[in-house]
Amino acid sequence: MSDDKIINLSPIKEMELRASRIPGVVSLAQGVPSFDTPEAVKRAAIEAIERGKVAKYSLAPGTLEFRETIAQNLERENKFFDFESEIIATAGSIEAITATLLAILEPGDEVLIPDPTYTSYQATIKVARGAPVFVPLDEENRWSFDIEKFERLITPRTKAFLFCNPNNPTGTIFTRNQLHALAQLAIKHNLYILSDEVYKDFVFDSDERLYSLGELRGIRDRLVYIFSFSKAYAMTGWRIAYLATHQKLAKKILAVHDALVTCAPVVSQYAGMAALELANEDVLKFKEYFQKRRDLTCKRLDKLSHVFEYQKPDSSYFVFPKIKDGILKKVASDGGSWEFAIQLLEKAKVATVPGVAFGPSGENHIRMCFGRSEEDINIAFDRLEKFF
Amino acid sequence: MKSFFKKIVQFFLKLFTKITLWRHKPYVIAVSGSTNKTTIKDYILKFLREKYPPSPRLRRAGGEYENVRGNPKSYNTEIGLPLAILYLESGDSSAMKWLKVLTRAKMIALFSRKFPKKLVLELGVEEKGDMKPLLEMVSPKVAIITNIEGSYTYSNSSLEQIFNEMKLLVEKIPENGHVLLNWDDERVKSLAEFARAKVITYGFSEGADARVKNLKTDAQGQTFDFEFGGEKESVRIKKYGRHFVSAWMAAKVVKSIL
Repeated sequence: MSDDKIINLSPIKEMELRASRIPGVVSLAQGVPSFDTPEAVKRAAIEAIERGKVAKYSLAPGTLEFRETIAQNLERENKFFDFESEIIATAGSIEAITATLLAILEPGDEVLIPDPTYTSYQATIKVARGAPVFVPLDEENRWSFDIEKFERLITPRTKAFLFCNPNNPTGTIFTRNQLHALAQLAIKHNLYILSDEVYKDFVFDSDERLYSLGELRGIRDRLVYIFSFSKAYAMTGWRIAYLATHQKLAKKILAVHDALVTCAPVVSQYAGMAALELANEDVLKFKEYFQKRRDLTCKRLDKLSHVFEYQKPDSSYFVFPKIKDGILKKVASDGGSWEFAIQLLEKAKVATVPGVAFGPSGENHIRMCFGRSEEDINIAFDRLEKFF
Repeated sequence: MKSFFKKIVQFFLKLFTKITLWRHKPYVIAVSGSTNKTTIKDYILKFLREKYPPSPRLRRAGGEYENVRGNPKSYNTEIGLPLAILYLESGDSSAMKWLKVLTRAKMIALFSRKFPKKLVLELGVEEKGDMKPLLEMVSPKVAIITNIEGSYTYSNSSLEQIFNEMKLLVEKIPENGHVLLNWDDERVKSLAEFARAKVITYGFSEGADARVKNLKTDAQGQTFDFEFGGEKESVRIKKYGRHFVSAWMAAKVVKSIL
């Protein structure tokens, strides 16, 4: 098997594994919120278990009640989908993405992904026997899309564009104009768009709702909107998410989803339903915490200005600082972000994710997660200050 | 202890709700079924508020004093329904909050002077025995049954149990009331034989009293023809999904009979 088809363990998980073997490491690697799942969600799950509702398979797309609740929530965000035929509850957003790609790709089809972006996108495309193609983001312009660059990379084999808005690891929010330009390209070249909006609830310094391509009616036949409960509701372990798309495409994806997992975990569907109905205040509270932690992280990064330069993230809970050339060469013998992150882990006992894991443009950067507690963030930066 | 406290809260909420309804005697429209209750309720509220707009004074006063009111947040269970009727927030898991809720409920029951003339209420029924306590509180004049569907892949008796619960609601509607049944759902359809009230069926299938035909989807939403009582109307709604059309249809019938 050629190298470009080999699926490796995500570098994020690999870094977490390495970190777990070293006593006393503080991890800013994996994007896991420090909070527990909201009480109301846990109570609803317990009640569903006690009432005997979760022991058996649900319908493949999920329980009717869950899908109806999802549709009602989407409606409040100006997104309209038929809960009976256009919404599928999935085992995390990664299953939603994998099932979609398996449904739409022929072997060798290309999928465009931003560079840098979430590491596991590359693996899911390879699982579906597709080829990931990186579209470099414009770092000088707050990691925005360069639409011309994007169009130049489209070939007859290009089938879809998969992206995360707000973007992980850069925290970029793509503007309405950029999204509309993408939509026009998708129509022009007959592409699908997979819009993963897992961080949509964590937009800082603004009370405005994130604009989503899910609101654009003209592309609903080619858009797959994906949302996960993992981050917004601190439910990473529940493995619950959903996708919403036009009924024709939903039907194809449903067949794959059924083959992969039969249905999303039923207890988690009840938990997800309660999250949407009862936990909105918790999400606002989490957002406030993350904003404070972002500010703390940026303040601490400012003190390391001889090591890193960075852009303040507008969203998500990641910052993606660039390592200054001199420091990179000094710390990492091979001059790469992977070696740099290993050195931070082994010598400073701080786990981060090397930027190259997110795509070639991520080289010379590291990703730090500020979803962790303020205490962890402070300990990590104390160690980094000492190390540098 | 928790369940004892819950029973006390339930008892008093029910009592205060009954007193309130006895004092003000609102016209109650009940929406029940497995799904689509909230969308139907919202459309009914929209149409009835258009037909019976609140006076400018009431409008300024806000939701609590409207002519027509529905369940906020889909409160529709044995504890939720009284909260919906009394227009109160849940006490969640706080005993103190629940005591405040009960105090406020008592004040509304005994001293409130203004109350909506029409209530549009979702009745949430998930299993056997859920409908009875709800019908002990409210006496609807109109009932809409949306569907009886399951969420699981295996066949079980639970849908027959839900059918029996819906039967209780249909039987409760008085002769001068109306029962609206979704003609596209075989179980719901067969509830007609238990009705004392006038039955009106709605749906996409042939034979429905109120029927939608020529449903089409485009970039702006959905278009369809609606036929009811010998009249035909071409309609556009900006939302996607058959459930919105079904809800629109049921609400339109309610508007025409009230």
